[in-house]
Order: sequence, then structure tokens, then C-alpha cells
Amino acid sequence: MKILLVCSQGMSSAIAAKALQEAAQKKGLDVTVAECSTQAFAEEIKNGYAIGMVAPQIRHRYDILKQQAEAAGVPCILIKPQGYTPLGGAKLLDQVEQELGGIE
Amino acid sequence: MLSKLTTFMDEKLSTPMAKLAEQRHLRAIRDGIIATLPLIIVSSMFMVIAFLPNSMPKDWGITQFLLANQGKILLPYRVSMYIMTLYAVFGIGYSLAASYELDPLSGGILSELAFLLTIIPVTVPAAGEAIAGLAAEAPELETYLASLPSGFLLPMGNLGSGGMFIGILASFFAVEVYRFTQKSGFKISMPPQVPASVARSFEALTPTAVVLIVVAAITMFIGIDVHTIVSKIVSPLVSATDTLPSVLVIIFLEVFFWSFGIHGVSIVGSLARPLWLVLLEGNTSAYVAGERVINTAAEPFYQWFVRIGGCGATIGLAILFAFFAKSAYGKALGKTSIVPAVFNINEPMIFGAPIVMNPMLIIPFIITPLVTGTIAWVVTQLGWVNHVVASAPWTLPGPIGAFLACGSDWRAAVLNIVLIALSVVIYYPFFKMYDNSLKAEEQEEA
Repeated sequence: MKILLVCSQGMSSAIAAKALQEAAQKKGLDVTVAECSTQAFAEEIKNGYAIGMVAPQIRHRYDILKQQAEAAGVPCILIKPQGYTPLGGAKLLDQVEQELGGIE
Repeated sequence: MLSKLTTFMDEKLSTPMAKLAEQRHLRAIRDGIIATLPLIIVSSMFMVIAFLPNSMPKDWGITQFLLANQGKILLPYRVSMYIMTLYAVFGIGYSLAASYELDPLSGGILSELAFLLTIIPVTVPAAGEAIAGLAAEAPELETYLASLPSGFLLPMGNLGSGGMFIGILASFFAVEVYRFTQKSGFKISMPPQVPASVARSFEALTPTAVVLIVVAAITMFIGIDVHTIVSKIVSPLVSATDTLPSVLVIIFLEVFFWSFGIHGVSIVGSLARPLWLVLLEGNTSAYVAGERVINTAAEPFYQWFVRIGGCGATIGLAILFAFFAKSAYGKALGKTSIVPAVFNINEPMIFGAPIVMNPMLIIPFIITPLVTGTIAWVVTQLGWVNHVVASAPWTLPGPIGAFLACGSDWRAAVLNIVLIALSVVIYYPFFKMYDNSLKAEEQEEA
């Protein structure tokens, strides 16, 4: 399963993406996490992702990004601030599982 | 009580303000200009290289080589950063058209057309008989005449930062015309017998014809000098951006938004980045021409003397967490935050510490950048460090970025290091207080 994180320039989301990736691996889940910038999101989300996750610091763009994701038929959620840290991988994974009703 | 107040401010003030920056035209400027930043960064590094001899011993071979080839090394800069508006216009038109769900490529091309129609081509007239006669006697004049270009020339001045605001307006005009013709049905219509594909090819001509005729009429046929008019209107705004009060307001707004966990630089940058670019390019051109560099607060100024380690000059806080934390959480946070902080990424701390809505850390988060910004302003005005002339990649460690941005000035690296030390000092008491409270919580839980 593929997950896409988006932030302003795809810099800090790379850190959160790594944390999420590690949390998923720890649970033995087959998940690939990628990150991208706001500008690249509309195109990138079309590449077979199961979910899009928007960084909290760009929550003022959430509506637009959500529309772009939904246009590609992908659900999109806003990352809770507490999860957006190198130590927040487990929290991010919780959010994904809640939204998708579990990860196979 | 306090948390109620911060939630109230977030919901009623910072988030709605941030949403304003998502207005379609502002977004188009932001995305269009961001798309040109790699070009500006790479080409301004060429400029840094061309002027390395200024800070190297004169008798080195490499110094001599660079000096001899300076003009050639600067040529890539001339066709990139020096004419950055030409690139930005395409990006702005592309983004704006995309936001209207129109063909973005057409939007970009129409914008470029509208912009270039404001730049009047000129020709160098052929030398008359009298001049030719003079040239026959003076070989110097003859070589000069032979070196003059022939045919039509496009003056480059307004293709750069000088034309930035006309470029923005031209893109808006072109894409709005495009939208109007597509959405209103105001286009060349063919009788039903004409095949649909042929009819479409005529329809596509309408926006181009409107843009071309209207802009050419204003700038070329009537001959209104739009660049001079707009620069008269905008220049007070540009110079106002380059004052200490504006610098302090900009710094405050950036950290104000971040205090609520909203990307302050992105919001403020939507409005300020065109002005920052005009200031920076003004400095770069003056530097390259060997003239006095006068602007202070272009974006690299903020990048290397204010946003050290990320917005809020949080480098000091990262150092404190990494090396002086006593609480288990503080130690873990420091370990994971210090490396990103060296590269000016501080989201791990902003959301991890957290700084967001945390009164204990918000105070130094706002004070520190205001202090470092003021010091850097004064130091630059006193001439103790060079003014910023180049845009170095923002993910470089502070001293290196500062060195490059100020035209390879080691004093800028020293200033950056002094400001890092100052950041540690200002954050220290607040960090101590917060770390102690974390530790107390941990002991309670244990």
C-alpha cells in the first residue's frame, strides 16, 4: 500500500514519512510512504496511492489539496500536529488505520 | 483559559488570514515564482564563483583565471536570474490557468505573449555616410561599429526583476482574457457545416487575438510606457519593504503564523517574495556591475540571519534539546531534531516540542528572530558584513549559506555563528523551564 505525505516543499514531510514508514515496518505492514510538495501533489496523488496526508502547517490549503486527491479518487486527511514529528510514526499510522479501517 | 484564547485566535485570526493567501491569484504568483527559484539559486551560484577573486589572494592561478573569464562565467546568470520575470510569467500564467481548469500550457504561453508585448524591440540603425567616413579614418571606431549587433533587439532590463510587476499583471490579464473567451462563449463561431476540429482551431485564436491586439495597442501603437508607470507605483512599496520596521513586521508575522503551526514563510512569502526578488536582483545587478550594493532585506537576509535552523531562529533550541536536556522526552526530541535543524528544517521541534500553542516556548520563538534580525540589520548597515547578493539553497547549514549569500564574505559566516550563539542564550531560560516541567511530569508518571 502506498501513502503520500504533502507539505509546503516536501522537506519536513520526508521526516514524518520516514517515521511512518518505520512504524509500519515495526508492525510488519507492507507500506510505502512517499512525500511531495504542494505544487506536485495534484499530479503525484494519481500514481496509485491509497491515501493522501496533509501536513498540519499547510492546513489552510487542506480544502484545495483534498479536492485534488478526491479528483483522483483518493481519500485525504489532515495530519494531527502531535503526529508530525520524527517520534510520531505510531500516531500517523493510527490515523491511517482509522481512516481506511485497517491496513491489509 | 489560555488554551481557550489560543484556540480562539487560531480559529478566528490565524487560520482565516492564512486562507486569504490561498486566493487564486496570490496562489498563482506564489507557485509561479517558486518554480523559478531553482533557476535563481543555481545561477546566483555562478555569480558567486565569478566574484570569488574578491576574497582570494590576487596571485593565485585560479584567481587570475576567474578574473580573465568573469564575463563568460556570468553569461548563464544573464539568461537566467537576470531575466527571471520571463520565467516567472510562464509559471504564473500556467498556475492561474490550471486553477481555472483551463489548459495550463495555453495559459503560460498567452501570459508570455502579453508580457513580451510590453517590451518594445529596437533596432540599431545602420551607420550613415558621415559615420562611415569617420570610421575609415579611425580604426577604433570601425571595430566598435563592427561589434554592434544588427537586426531587432529585445532590451533585457525589463525582462528581469524590473518587469516583475508588469509580468504579474500581464499574466493575470492574459489568463482572464482566456477564461472570459472560454467561459462566456465570446469566440469566433463557425457555421454548423464547418467540421468541429476546424471550428475549434479558430476558437483557440480568439484569446490570442484579444491579448495581442489590446496589449500591443497600449504599449506599441499608443505608446504608453507601462513599465515606467508601474515602477513609479511600486517603487515606494519596494523601498518600504527594505526598512527595519517592515523587517520586524515580516519576522513577526512569520513566527506568529508558526506559533499556531501554520507555515508562516509560505503565507508571508506569497505577498513578499516578488518584492524580495526585486530587492535581491537590484543587489545582484549592482554587485555584478561593480556599483554600490544598497538593499538590505532581500529574502537571503531572512534566510541566513533570521530563520537560522528554521523560523524563529530555533537553532539554539535544537542545540539545547540535543545537548542539555535532562528529561527523557527532551533528549529523544533533541536527538531527532538537531540534524534537520542544521539544514534549517524545524518542524520536528515546532510540532514535537511542541512550540505550537505552547506559551513557554512561543515567547523566545518570537523574541529571538526579532533580536537576530535587528542585529543583522544594524551590522549590515554599518558595513560590517556585505549586503546579500545571492540566493543560496535554504537547506545549507547556516554559516555556509551566509558566506555564499553575501558574495563569499567570511564575516557573514561569523555573524551567522554569533547569532546562533545568541539564539542558544535567549532560548536557554525558557528551555530550562520547559525541560524541568517535562522531567517533573515524567517523574510523576514513573
